[in-house]
Amino acid sequence: MDFLFGNILHGLAVAMTPANLALCFAGCVLGTLIGVLPGLGPTATVAMLMPVTFWLDPTGALIMMAGVFYGSQYGGSTTAILVNLPGESSSVVTCLDGYAMARQGRAGAALAIAALASLFAGTVTTFLIAWAGPAIASVALQFQSPDYVAVMVLGLVAAVVLAHGSVVKAVAMILLGIFLGLIGTDVSTSEQRFTFGLDTLFDGIGFVPLSMGLFGLAEIMFNLEGGAEGNRTRVAINRLWPTRRDFREATPAAVRGTLLGCFLGVLPGGGSTIPSFAAYSLEKKLARDPSRFGRGAVQGVAAPEAANNAGAQACFIPMLSLGIPPNAVMALMVGAMMVHGIQPGPQIIQKQPDLFWGLVASMWIGNLMLVVLNLPLIWIWVKLLEVPYRFLFPAVIVLCGIGVYSLDNRLSDVVLMAFFGVFGYGLRKLECEPAPLLLGFILGPLLEENFRRSLMLTGGDASIFLTRPISLSFLVVSVILLAAVLLPAFRQRREQWTEEA
Amino acid sequence: MNRSSRSTHGLASMADRVRAGLAIGAVAALAAVPTLAAAQAFPSQPISLVVPWPAGGGSDIAMRLLADGATRRMGAPVVVVNKPGAGGTVGLKEVAQSKPDGYTLAMLATGALFAQYNNPAANAVSDFELIAFFGDDPSALTASAKTGFKTVADFIAAAKASPGRLRNGNDQPGGTSHVTVSLLEKALGVRVIKVPYAGYAPTVQALLAGELDTVTVGVPDVLQHQQAGTVQMLGVAATQRHFLAPDVPTFREQGIDFVAGTWRVIIGPRGIPADRLATLESRLLETMNDPEFKTKARTAGFIVSPLGRADTARRLAAEDAAMYPVFLEAGLVKTRQK
Repeated sequence: MDFLFGNILHGLAVAMTPANLALCFAGCVLGTLIGVLPGLGPTATVAMLMPVTFWLDPTGALIMMAGVFYGSQYGGSTTAILVNLPGESSSVVTCLDGYAMARQGRAGAALAIAALASLFAGTVTTFLIAWAGPAIASVALQFQSPDYVAVMVLGLVAAVVLAHGSVVKAVAMILLGIFLGLIGTDVSTSEQRFTFGLDTLFDGIGFVPLSMGLFGLAEIMFNLEGGAEGNRTRVAINRLWPTRRDFREATPAAVRGTLLGCFLGVLPGGGSTIPSFAAYSLEKKLARDPSRFGRGAVQGVAAPEAANNAGAQACFIPMLSLGIPPNAVMALMVGAMMVHGIQPGPQIIQKQPDLFWGLVASMWIGNLMLVVLNLPLIWIWVKLLEVPYRFLFPAVIVLCGIGVYSLDNRLSDVVLMAFFGVFGYGLRKLECEPAPLLLGFILGPLLEENFRRSLMLTGGDASIFLTRPISLSFLVVSVILLAAVLLPAFRQRREQWTEEA
Repeated sequence: MNRSSRSTHGLASMADRVRAGLAIGAVAALAAVPTLAAAQAFPSQPISLVVPWPAGGGSDIAMRLLADGATRRMGAPVVVVNKPGAGGTVGLKEVAQSKPDGYTLAMLATGALFAQYNNPAANAVSDFELIAFFGDDPSALTASAKTGFKTVADFIAAAKASPGRLRNGNDQPGGTSHVTVSLLEKALGVRVIKVPYAGYAPTVQALLAGELDTVTVGVPDVLQHQQAGTVQMLGVAATQRHFLAPDVPTFREQGIDFVAGTWRVIIGPRGIPADRLATLESRLLETMNDPEFKTKARTAGFIVSPLGRADTARRLAAEDAAMYPVFLEAGLVKTRQK
């Protein structure tokens, strides 16, 4: 423990220098801004900051880039709650209950819960990185392809839980998501699938155009159905701060979300999206009254927000201690270190203690800054809801267009977003939910890739999934979860039949 | 995005900022009096350097360093524009269709040789003017420490003892790492299982997790793990040892003639006027031969070995001749047969 506190103090000394504090603040502000702008994600922003790092010292540069990354997780939830637009893929599930709360006039409470849950998760994860980062990374190293298959299966089963309403429709949406995920070049063979020879589809459909179309644009169309002010219920905003009951309900959810986020964030390919979906599913499963989810349940905001922030920070663990970037932003940070001749990896803690501990300490400081920055802003954001919809929706569409375009500087992504907007509108009319579709879209290709690879490695022996302990345990959990979902549904139906008979 | 990266470039020094300001002034003047601008010296406006890969990858970092250095030499800002997609095809296509005025350049890498045979939508390398060669990122054959292999000879012995059983991690068919292991199989007369991963980070992760016996990726990708003793680089596929791993012998030193890896070339659309091509070539070579630039690039892990237009063309022709049979054998040639 002395070792831990000594190191944290050392890190604080590095992070508290005026220059590093300023960079951390700049990163957080920038992150919040891009988080609020739909579609403009941390990847593009960190990429733009890349040249700056040629002249900054590496610790300062990384502190700033990290600030942008976790800052955007805070900002991303703002648009999700206010206008049903996930600013980042990790805030997709926040839309479900956050937006519902906003429609009930409780946008302020939702934003506050999101910010506080994020702060809690950020604090816990910072200490976790300091205390057990390398040890956790070595656990993640035990994961092989068959184990990932089992994790993805669990994720897909959890996606069924995500849905409220018809299980059949949820399964259909997952399958549709998996299908959409298949589009593009196959990793195993380099064959193109369902691309119709269109360049745009070679790398598959982007997550951002898909999610912004399905959630944001579809919602706008739905709202506009009844004229400019549409179906948008205008509710008086009575109080900004969450009630005591909100806190009581949100706290355990935030704790569970944090733990899940830490765990899933460490896995390669992790980050903050899958943890946020998983945390939401878990809360819904644990809730005494699952029907409240999707109708403004506080837990449905607290858990995914805690999970995505925990995930965002936990993915620094494999990057720093193994030198393996689990996502694009981490790859950029590895790039920034390489420019200075620093190779992230097992030896970084001994070789670059200032950088490692300084970065860890700055994350905690940055999280505090974000809350201080964000809580007073809630009032302004909520005011935004009072802007007449006929002014708000064109602005939102323009921002979406800019955000999607800026991802890869491609016009076709904007067209795709528009297409999925119409598609999403159709789904809403059919009462099909887009959230399971998105999860299928993310997990399906990973499932296929790892499944084929597993069989390739074993020469076609499928028993590998049952003989590896990690894989087996995830599969067992999936079966139990599936049974828990399906059995009550069957029982109810049987009761109905028996009543009718 | 452009505006921001331009302004950050301007942070380099006061002199740069002034020069960038002048260039922007020049652009404004150019808009006002187009005929006059045409007679002005080249370059008189910002040059875009299209990187057909996402920001943050090796190519992106290399090109951002180059753009930073070239801005000083060109007397006009050189701005990196990321246009990723379809293995570099999307960005290159846009450049092929751009006006050949020397203001739109791009980076072309090893994968473009493959794309022209495999992807009907891809441009042929002959659609471009080759302007300058940036350098090589040689591949290395790296084994997990668990295998106990120390040299290429150990690998060959094991591969021959159990043909088609060793598991090598690489990228998707046609990718640099996949081509490398395919060429290696030919050079050594062995067969391995080629397991595809989406990117080098997951490949290395799988090697560490014990899922693979070997990988064929670049030296920087495995360097830390080599130093930590969890993996062993058996040989570097280059003519010289890699400066980052000076104690790892090349294949040639071990008696095997095998060179492979990623290389990067600066190109432009066909039809750039000869005088502009010459200007671009000489300024880029000056930039890359600048000792300060070389030091910066070396720190970031890049070997810079600049070549002019004629040498670049010869080099690419040789690469093409070596790789085409590999693509053909793997059934990957779908278009533009030779």
